[in-house]
Amino acid sequence: MSEQVFNKTNIFIALQYLAARKKQSFLATIGVLLGVTTFIVMINFMTGVNDFLDDAVFNGSPDIIISATTKRNSKKKPGITTNYIENSDKVDEFLEKDQNVESFAHQIISPAILISDAKQFPGSINGIFPDQEDEMVDLERRLIEGEGFQSLSSENTILLGISLAKRLQVSAGDQIKMILPNGKNIVLKVSGIFSFGITTIDNVRTYVSAATLQNLLGQNSISNIHIKLRNRDNVRLKDYLIQNINDITTEDWKDSNKTIVIGNKVRDILTWSVSFALLLVAGFGIYNILNITVIQKRKDIAVLKTIGYSSKDIVFIFLVQSLIIGILGAFFGAFFGYIISYMISTTPLDTSDFIIVDTYPINFKISYYVLGLLFGILTTIIAGYFPSRKASKVDPVTIIRGI
Amino acid sequence: MILEAQCINKYFLDPEKHQVLKEVSLSVPEGELVSVYGESGSGKSTLLYILSTLDMDFEGNLKIHNQEVKDLNASSLTDFRNKHIGFVYQFHYLLPEFNVLQNVMLPAMKLSKKNKDDIRKDALNLLSEVGMKGFAKRPSYQLSGGQQQRVAIARALINDPSLIVADEPTGNLDQKNSELIFELLKEITGSRNKAVVIATHNPKIYHNSNRSIEMIDGSIRL
Ligand SMILES: Nc1ncnc2c1ncn2[C@@H]1O[C@H](COP(=O)(O)OP(=O)(O)OP(=O)(O)O)[C@@H](O)[C@H]1O
Ligand SMILES: [Mg+2]
Repeated sequence: MSEQVFNKTNIFIALQYLAARKKQSFLATIGVLLGVTTFIVMINFMTGVNDFLDDAVFNGSPDIIISATTKRNSKKKPGITTNYIENSDKVDEFLEKDQNVESFAHQIISPAILISDAKQFPGSINGIFPDQEDEMVDLERRLIEGEGFQSLSSENTILLGISLAKRLQVSAGDQIKMILPNGKNIVLKVSGIFSFGITTIDNVRTYVSAATLQNLLGQNSISNIHIKLRNRDNVRLKDYLIQNINDITTEDWKDSNKTIVIGNKVRDILTWSVSFALLLVAGFGIYNILNITVIQKRKDIAVLKTIGYSSKDIVFIFLVQSLIIGILGAFFGAFFGYIISYMISTTPLDTSDFIIVDTYPINFKISYYVLGLLFGILTTIIAGYFPSRKASKVDPVTIIRGI
Repeated sequence: MILEAQCINKYFLDPEKHQVLKEVSLSVPEGELVSVYGESGSGKSTLLYILSTLDMDFEGNLKIHNQEVKDLNASSLTDFRNKHIGFVYQFHYLLPEFNVLQNVMLPAMKLSKKNKDDIRKDALNLLSEVGMKGFAKRPSYQLSGGQQQRVAIARALINDPSLIVADEPTGNLDQKNSELIFELLKEITGSRNKAVVIATHNPKIYHNSNRSIEMIDGSIRL
């Protein structure tokens, strides 16, 4: 094609048409702006929450947990007994061979009562092997006070979840007393306080060294094996273990975090559907405005054609109008989306029942902004295309006869 | 010859096939103003749409500026019209979003053979020629019918086309304004050496043209 439609004159004409309908053009721009802003804010917020939960829950807990089902000592009262894995060596063998296992750690878990000078509360005591556990959980990142797993190597020390520590009114360096279901008790020094940001964890979880707990329970077995996988979505190992090892149960991350997995999905669906709906509305707005313009301006279009403007020029002139609306709306939308997201990210958040954070988690990923811009501009191009094509099909003779 | 139309036949299919132009032949050299008159419905407008290449659905040969227009494809036809033909309508249609000067400039901006400053100069010259220079910056919808028609004539002239086609250019104006517009067209024909075809019902116009042609029921009366 020899003729070039992208030229100053056509853009000038398009701008003139936009300026002649300032109010409608402004409203259409606002429509796109709202769509893009909502998209940005929602996706920043929703993925922020999703990532936060993913990080807190999935990195704070193992991908697969193996626990025992037998009771070694049936004389103990139900509910407060600990079951022990009898074939832990055999399990270890399996895990060492499996390619998908990144690391695993032994634990002995027991309930206990924790008593400080001020208060007493029940807790879940995880007896761990510091070197193994370091491979599993990045506790350093989550430490509020004191030191991490390695501090458990010294005798009679304990690590507490932040909420539990607050309720017990203790801080690092203080001493607390622990009473086990079998009546044994011990005084422990709080060597560190951690927070996963999830109330259900921070409220009850404590770490002591496995040796300490085994001593008190008169046991040298373990009750759980925690496994971290290379590919978290492949949990075939679970079935394999169940089939080959007796008296164990397994639970994967999806089982233990059903509500969070579903919550993430719901948030994703919500983000995309609401943004899509808003952009659809904005698109219809533009479509409508241009369509009405084309009908009202049929005579003008006919005149433009008689004075030498081609069908392609006309398509371009109208498409540019929606494109300008789209680009302005999308850029301001992304800008306001950023401002609002930023404001949310600095809003102090009262500790809820579920998660513990100072402010709302927001994900400012640049790709969401690019996506929002593309989304907004694409909508307007599609919405503008059909009226533009209609405009280009106006037959000057028919129109001029009717003038 | 600027315009050479030979044996033009035109049919409309709606409501049934009927012939509206019958073997119409017409040649107009430069410097001649030809008016076409005749009863309403005799086919004047239909002929003018064909002569100005807006309607290409006809039988026969049409040469403008020695170019057979049927040989042009859609996009080169638009360019050809932009360059060689000026069109003036009964309802002097200016674009209301643009001011008077911009309206006159639009065809030249499409042609884009000159830069914007030169186009502006040309447009202002034309506006003063049609007596509308004082209105250059006015929005076009503020003008009276006669004033708008003069601007439309300036617009038709901006690319210096060799052929000007005007369909009842004074049809909507009072006698005095009609005469002014006609005088303007006549003067342009002479001084600028254009070929001009006017369709009109006004006897004053067709009696004072270089040549006048009567249309009867789609044919030219010989
Ligand atoms: N689109 C169309 N479809 C069918 N018939 C048409 C169409 N346009 C015009 N005609 C018919 O063609 C004939 C010529 O119409 P045209 O407009 O050329 O007449 P005219 O001489 O310009 O009349 P007037 O002086 O009223 O302007 C008329 O009978 C008209 O009804
Ligand atoms: Mg007519």
